[in-house]
Amino acid sequence: MSEVNRKLAMLAAIWAALILAPLWMPLVGGYTALGTRVMVLGLAAMSVNFLLGFTGVLSFGHAAWFGLGAYGCGLLLKFVALSTPLGLLAGTLLGGVMGGLLGALIVRRRGVYFAMVTIAFGQVFYYIAFQWSSLTGGDDGLRPFYRQPLHLGVATVDILHDSTAFYYFVLVCFAFAVAAMAFILRSPFGRTMLAIRENERRARFLGIPVEMHIWIAFTLSCFFMAFAGSLYALVNNFADPRGLHYSQSGDFVMMAVLGGMRTFWGPLLGAVVFVMLQDYISSITINWQIFIGLFYVACVLFFPRGVLGILRRKATT
Amino acid sequence: MSLLRVERVSRHFGSLVAVDGVSLTVEPGELRAVIGPNGAGKTTFFNLISGFFPPTSGKIFLDDRDITAASSHRRVDMGIARTFQITEIFPELTVRENLRIPAEVAQGLRLRPWLARADDERVRARVDELLEMGGLADKADRLVGELPHGDQRSTEIMMALALKPRLLLLDEPTAGMGDRETYDITTLVRSLHRDQKLAIVLIEHDMRVVFHLADRIMVLAEGAVLAEGTPDEIAANERVQEAYLGKAA
Amino acid sequence: MRDRMIQLLLFNVTNGLIIGAFYVLMAIGLSLILNLSNVINFAHGGFLVIGGYIAYTLEPYLGFWGALVASPFLTAIIGLAVERLLISRVYGRDPLYGLLLTFGLAFVFEDGTRIIWGAQGKPFTIPAFLSQPLSNQFFFITGYRVFMVAMVTVMIALLFLLLRFTRAGIRIRAGTLDLETVAVLGVNARALRSLNFAVGIFLAGLSGVLAGGQLGLEPTMGAGLLMPSFIAIIVGGVGSLVGTLVGGLLIGVASGVTAVILPPASEAIMYVLMAVVLLVRPRGLFGEEGMLT
Repeated sequence: MSEVNRKLAMLAAIWAALILAPLWMPLVGGYTALGTRVMVLGLAAMSVNFLLGFTGVLSFGHAAWFGLGAYGCGLLLKFVALSTPLGLLAGTLLGGVMGGLLGALIVRRRGVYFAMVTIAFGQVFYYIAFQWSSLTGGDDGLRPFYRQPLHLGVATVDILHDSTAFYYFVLVCFAFAVAAMAFILRSPFGRTMLAIRENERRARFLGIPVEMHIWIAFTLSCFFMAFAGSLYALVNNFADPRGLHYSQSGDFVMMAVLGGMRTFWGPLLGAVVFVMLQDYISSITINWQIFIGLFYVACVLFFPRGVLGILRRKATT
Repeated sequence: MSLLRVERVSRHFGSLVAVDGVSLTVEPGELRAVIGPNGAGKTTFFNLISGFFPPTSGKIFLDDRDITAASSHRRVDMGIARTFQITEIFPELTVRENLRIPAEVAQGLRLRPWLARADDERVRARVDELLEMGGLADKADRLVGELPHGDQRSTEIMMALALKPRLLLLDEPTAGMGDRETYDITTLVRSLHRDQKLAIVLIEHDMRVVFHLADRIMVLAEGAVLAEGTPDEIAANERVQEAYLGKAA
Repeated sequence: MRDRMIQLLLFNVTNGLIIGAFYVLMAIGLSLILNLSNVINFAHGGFLVIGGYIAYTLEPYLGFWGALVASPFLTAIIGLAVERLLISRVYGRDPLYGLLLTFGLAFVFEDGTRIIWGAQGKPFTIPAFLSQPLSNQFFFITGYRVFMVAMVTVMIALLFLLLRFTRAGIRIRAGTLDLETVAVLGVNARALRSLNFAVGIFLAGLSGVLAGGQLGLEPTMGAGLLMPSFIAIIVGGVGSLVGTLVGGLLIGVASGVTAVILPPASEAIMYVLMAVVLLVRPRGLFGEEGMLT
């Protein structure tokens, strides 16, 4: 099969699986709401990968924007307006804009120093969410708020009670975000991101203002991340300070690495595996942390290219 | 008006003087060579011209505009392109992709989130043109990192060319090459010089290449200019001969 | 009234310095490892906890002083093993993998501690004479706190002397600037990194013992100390031990002083400091300066 046909087939398979999920998930012991959750986490992992795998920038505090998205959405639904689309918008803007502003501060740094500062940023927001309990509910999280029915003109979709309808709503959002990401990556700007990843010095001497492009890529990934976070708030009808903690960031990065960092769909696959693993382990032992930790270690040592990374290697050799 | 005017630039690294009061003038369409022993400061000199770091003292003018403080990507915009001593390409992208990126930058498209059909065609055509020129057409879809050294070099030179520069800085283009590859690269550079009417400044160790291509030669030693002139003058210069030409012409 | 205010300020600044000294001990170990091996040791907090718990386990047999001396060394040995077996495998790779690895290790250590010693907090007894306050007026300066600061000062001074005057120390400093060149000059880079790591972990282990004496032992205590260490390094400047020292004291004191003026903000102040530094002098107070020169 030619390269192009293989890609198309894979794409078709992925979308078929996503579209038909409410049908096949119960057959393998899953349920629709789990699928919704995994899809949103997968989007978050893909957003991290947009920066990590495609620009080569090591942001390890990206959960901050995810959490901000969740809180933005929740706060709007709780205090301002009962509108799902507005909630999504609020969350996306909050996370995206904050990310853009803070990103400008650190764009000249690279490597581990950059990573350190992104972790610290994440912790600032975690701390704020924790302390400002009058607004955010502190340790207990932000509640109550609920995803609101969608008024589409011709019909009203009850996404609060109908988990299948909600799944498809999220799928549409997911598709939209993923399409935007793919679009950008295929554009001239996306190519400059690859250039920066491959050889920053060369990129600079080809007339690419590297810091500016990194900042733009960073900000875009923050917007995507915040969008995923907003969706996540809708999934749980709840926003949680733990969603801002650097351990959450670590999870997202791990999903990207596990699935294959330099591939587009890898992080989604990684999310599936990671969530399944986490759910399974925490159901058989309370010491799930140590297993997750060992898993991280094992992945790094034995599996750094991730599932799709290995498959891709096999295909081209 | 000269294309490039470098006025007594120096570059210090702490107490180490890498480049010491070097001046150079390049006219449009000239092909200059810079030679000298290892550690003479040639690459540092290139780094100063291309904006890798600023000079400790001295000034640099492009078309009589002071570019001493300009960043490297600004200088690319203004028409300076360079290659590096150790080939700098994008190893896990194909040749075509490697060339496409500077082609898009040159056409002002680098920030575009999407490309109109007409722009896309124009870029593709340009990349095809560059592939032909560099003799890379049959390897266009291979990963550059997997190509032999000579082809990587050619790719790098064509990437620089894709930027439509008026001044091309080539840092030891034939380093580490056998006779055949050296010949190919030399031919490429000569055709670029002739057909594109580019000004080229070349750092080289291989004297055959230097004497074959250069209009004028500048000899650097210990960061300063030892001699400057036409190939014949340099060949006849005893000081240069005794210290640096070694196995040469 | 003024006297009370001054007392309060003194109390909080002193408190701040003590806390700061603590942050310094942790942060310097972290900084050492970061500078030479380019690895952010997320598991540093985990080693702190291990150090504390090992001391707790040894105390019945060796007493407080014995445990104090033995535990950091034992912790360092564990650290050495971890470095040789695991961390050394990611040197030279994308820094991402080092991050993920130590990240995973942090989980393992925390939960591991929980499994071995239980999730309940454990008390760590310190000699009675140390827990006495030094005087009635300065009731808040207990002997133990003075002892802690003294320990930290001695350790840091020792470290700086080691780095300045011993062969290994000089090599570590050179290696921080350019490990490749140092290796080419015949120094065993592998051994150097291992030694450096072990020293960093020694300091973490010691921090654990000292913390245990002050706060009691708990599996989660390491995580809370990791962030201030990060910030101390960012504020002080990556690559500079002096910077880390200053950074740690600075955020400690800032925290102490803020506790007088605006108590709930005393934790937030270090993030504010970090933001200010990033805005005004992104490379940190002593950034990119190399070590101790």
